[in-house]
Amino acid sequence: MNGNAILLLPMLLPLIAGLIIGFQKEEKQRNLLVFITMAVEAVLVWWLCLGEHSLEAWRMTERLSIAYHTDGLGKFFACLISTIWLLAAVFALEYMKHEHKPARFFMFYTFSLGALMSLCFSANMMTLYLSYEFMTILTVPLVIHTGTPEAVRAGIKYLGYSVFGAGLGLMGFFFLNTYCVTTDFVAGGTLDMALVAGRENTLLVVFFLMAIGFGCKAGMFPLHAWLPTAHPVAPSPASAVLSGIITKGGVIAIIRVTYYLFGADFLRGTWVQTALLVLSIVTIFMGSMLAYKEKLLKRRLAYSTVSNVSYVVFGLMLLSPLGFVGALLQVVFHAVAKNILFLCAGAIIYKTEKTYVYEYKGIGKQMPIVMWCFALASLSLIGIPPTSGFVSKWYLAQGGLAPAFGALGITGVAMLMVSALLTAGYLLPIVIDAFFPGKDFDNTSLQKKEPNYLMTVPLVLLSVAVVCMGILPNPLMKWIAGISGMIF
Amino acid sequence: MEVLTTNNFILPFLVFFPFIGAVVGYGIGRSNKGARDIWAWIVSAAVFAGSLMLIGKESAYTLPSFCGLGISFFADGFGVVLAVLTAAIWLLTTLFSKEYMTEERNRNRYYFFVFLTLGATMGIFLSADLFTTFIFFEIMSFTSFVLVIHEEDDFTIRSAQTYLAVAVLGGLVTLMGLFMMYQLAGTLNLNELTAFMQAQPDKRPFYAIGVLILFGFGAKAGLFPLHVWLPGAYTVAPAPSSALLSCLLTKTGVFGTIIVSCKLFLHDAKWGSLILILGVITMVMGAVLAVFSVNLKRTLACSSMSQIGFIIIAIAMQGLLGEHNALAAAGTFLHFINHSLLKLVLFLSVGVVYMNLRELDLNKVRGFGKDKPLLKIVFLMGLLGIAGVPLWNGYISKTLIHESIVEYIAVLAAAGQSTAWIRCVEVLFLFSGGMTLAYMTKLFVAVFLEDNPYPVERKKTGAYMNKLTAAVLVLSAVILPVFGLLPHGTQDVLAEMGRGFMNAHAPEHMMHYFALENLKGVKISIMVGAVVYFLFIRKVLMEKDANGNLVYVDRWPQWLHIENKIYRPVLLTVLPYIGGFFARLAGSLTDGLIAILRMLIFNDDNGRVIPPEDKYFSAYTGGETDKTVYREGFARSLLMIGIGLTIAMIYILL
Repeated sequence: MNGNAILLLPMLLPLIAGLIIGFQKEEKQRNLLVFITMAVEAVLVWWLCLGEHSLEAWRMTERLSIAYHTDGLGKFFACLISTIWLLAAVFALEYMKHEHKPARFFMFYTFSLGALMSLCFSANMMTLYLSYEFMTILTVPLVIHTGTPEAVRAGIKYLGYSVFGAGLGLMGFFFLNTYCVTTDFVAGGTLDMALVAGRENTLLVVFFLMAIGFGCKAGMFPLHAWLPTAHPVAPSPASAVLSGIITKGGVIAIIRVTYYLFGADFLRGTWVQTALLVLSIVTIFMGSMLAYKEKLLKRRLAYSTVSNVSYVVFGLMLLSPLGFVGALLQVVFHAVAKNILFLCAGAIIYKTEKTYVYEYKGIGKQMPIVMWCFALASLSLIGIPPTSGFVSKWYLAQGGLAPAFGALGITGVAMLMVSALLTAGYLLPIVIDAFFPGKDFDNTSLQKKEPNYLMTVPLVLLSVAVVCMGILPNPLMKWIAGISGMIF
Repeated sequence: MEVLTTNNFILPFLVFFPFIGAVVGYGIGRSNKGARDIWAWIVSAAVFAGSLMLIGKESAYTLPSFCGLGISFFADGFGVVLAVLTAAIWLLTTLFSKEYMTEERNRNRYYFFVFLTLGATMGIFLSADLFTTFIFFEIMSFTSFVLVIHEEDDFTIRSAQTYLAVAVLGGLVTLMGLFMMYQLAGTLNLNELTAFMQAQPDKRPFYAIGVLILFGFGAKAGLFPLHVWLPGAYTVAPAPSSALLSCLLTKTGVFGTIIVSCKLFLHDAKWGSLILILGVITMVMGAVLAVFSVNLKRTLACSSMSQIGFIIIAIAMQGLLGEHNALAAAGTFLHFINHSLLKLVLFLSVGVVYMNLRELDLNKVRGFGKDKPLLKIVFLMGLLGIAGVPLWNGYISKTLIHESIVEYIAVLAAAGQSTAWIRCVEVLFLFSGGMTLAYMTKLFVAVFLEDNPYPVERKKTGAYMNKLTAAVLVLSAVILPVFGLLPHGTQDVLAEMGRGFMNAHAPEHMMHYFALENLKGVKISIMVGAVVYFLFIRKVLMEKDANGNLVYVDRWPQWLHIENKIYRPVLLTVLPYIGGFFARLAGSLTDGLIAILRMLIFNDDNGRVIPPEDKYFSAYTGGETDKTVYREGFARSLLMIGIGLTIAMIYILL
């Protein structure tokens, strides 16, 4: 082992704490422990991200090793993930009171954070692959937590799709091991052009399959189908992080493969770029359309994630700085907004057991804070200024309309608009029904059902973030510009 | 107007103070309703005072990095007039709201969103670039939605949903246009865009972008064919909100149209023609709908649509007349202002009727104002103004627009081109003017002159309006004849202030508003109005009921309902069906493939129960009883993955 061993802490802390949490029977102490672990982890990650650390934990062979490094991209995702994980955990403390076996849930919830940190900080493709698989396996218990046959089936489907996707990724790594100068992530790519010469097309096929494989986690067509099955059955805090964060695990892998292994220059202008842009456009439309047609709120949100994470893929595949900035902004804004929406859905289930969108009439009068948060997050997801979704859409569109992409770019941007319209179509009626149940609605039957502070505080914090980051996106954009400056 | 004050803090104050005021007011209103009302007056009075401080100078203010690109405000004469107008109308409606809203539920919510809307409207009128315009335009669409839906009955919710749907759709299309414009021009600053567009030798690629940008603004202005939301939304909103919608919120759409026409396509005859066609259709259609309507507020709503058609025609004439568009520019800006002032009076008067009777149907409100001279005179002022009768303000602006059409006929005739179609426009213009008189007379006669054979009980106790409400009405009504009697001292000054923004030139000579040739147009309009009223409205749109009383009937054919017959079916049924079909096809592609594969692999397992809806990876027997099958199925799935990986390995090794 050489390097700064402190970098192991973000992975080890959740691992050890998770084990203790899992066997802690006393609810109060366990909850306290969960909160402290998450808070310490978040502080630790933010602190680590102030500096630059690297660590080689174990060297297997000359080329393969487990190594971590806090580069710009890793820091960006780690800070985002650890913060949102903390807020969702606070929410879960209350929510899990009405689920069985909360200890098991929190154990795996904590473990997954470790795997995600490992994923963020991984410095080479082997570490990335292992973390990625750990992340999959450790989140399966979250999906099947309720133990119903439906949940178990969904968990298996999730596992199957993810393993298949990761398998495609692994296959790609076999190739890259041969064709890359080093398996470490280097901004701008590490392909050995002398070896590649003459076999460009093989490598493009490999890249295509890898993108499809990792795109599975990001819910990209054609391997998106696990998402609408797995998200609705998981407990709401779990679906929130599955949708908001775990899908971004796929995004991290795609960014690493695209920009840190192959390099944008190798891919720019090839058929692979066109093909992936087309796939992401298809996904954007498909997800929004299916969400519009769906009546079960959590599944509607899951389809919405399918669509929204493909905005990110669209931006990344533009292979231009503007697209990259738009994509990373969308990563943050979608993570925040989608977490709010799932947590609101959870709060509604927790308090009223209502799951279908047509049952929500008048709910805004019962839980005003929750539904206000829902409304703000909806506006952000549609992209209404000054909420944050508008800013990311602005940059994605500017990237997409660059003359280089011609009609495809215009189609893509137009599809973003169509998708925004559909988003309005599937989210706003919920808000309208909730706040404006109609004159004949029996208001006397309504009681205040606002959940307690454990649920409302995370929601309000996230909602404030969703508006403030839209009004003042500059600090975030400077951060992203720093990352994209390294790559391009 | 020469001094440019940069970083004039009044501009952001006008925009952001109402937002703060809204939040504070909401907090106050939770505990004390009376204090909240007073706070509302303080906020609107402060904004009004602030807007007055802008007069006489040019101001600018920039907030860098707001929403990414940064927003900037700018007020020249045009912006100052609009800011003062907005603040004044807001102040008056807020004062009026006190009595009107007493009986309503959710007043706290109402005031909260009223002030959010005020801030957003200010933001639009004071914006120096299209990015700023768009941001506040979207905020305004959403906050005003709450004002429209306030009453929450079924028809209200439906109308409000239409309003929101059109606003969202329009906003997104405009955004698409802005994306493309920004991509090409690299700026959205209005003056820089004008310079950029002037430098383009070929404007053809920009027409499509222009139409996209216009779409959202046109939708908000109620321009055909996106007017469907307008009659419904105006009718269902509380009267002060209807007044705000008609006076100012719809005008933001007109403002946007002015930006596109006068900043992007300055003096562009082709663009002018397009706008002219839309304007003429909107003008005629609104007037016809208003004549047919039997609902007090709906008539005024359709009237707003028609009057906005007049303004749009004036904007179009600016484009068609090119350099010599002084009359058209003055007509645009003055009708913009005059219509706001007129509709304020009319909607508030109707609000008084509604707060007493809780009815808007002409047959029910009939005779309400017969013994109420003050309300009668106030309404009459509005009527005479909007019908374009000389000595009232509407006449001035309509005459200017009419003169600009006549001027264009002369230009075409001098160039030896056909003037037939523009003469057609003139005829329709005068005809619509006549119909304006006809439908306003219909309202006036019904509410203030006729007796009601079936009187409706008054719901309100005490006087029909209190002193404050009366004062607001009188104040807003007095301005109308003053503007009409002293056109050179008032209207010409305003027109001059607005000229710079529209890049128009000064008129070559002083306009003689009361010259004989200008009065000729009015004569035709009044004759048309009399004919329409006596021969059409009284003969065709009224009939004797079973008791032998003459009543108003709704004769508008249902099959002409464009929203119910075309927009809703297409947008809510046909398109989602087609889209949903393809989306489902794509969505179930992978799962379907897996299901087929699984059938091929597991087809020998006859003893196993496979539920038909199970299209997942593992074969599964229902319930948790039989764990072996589940494990076996999963193991086989892993095996398949393993085989796949092995094949990949072999390929690599070879």
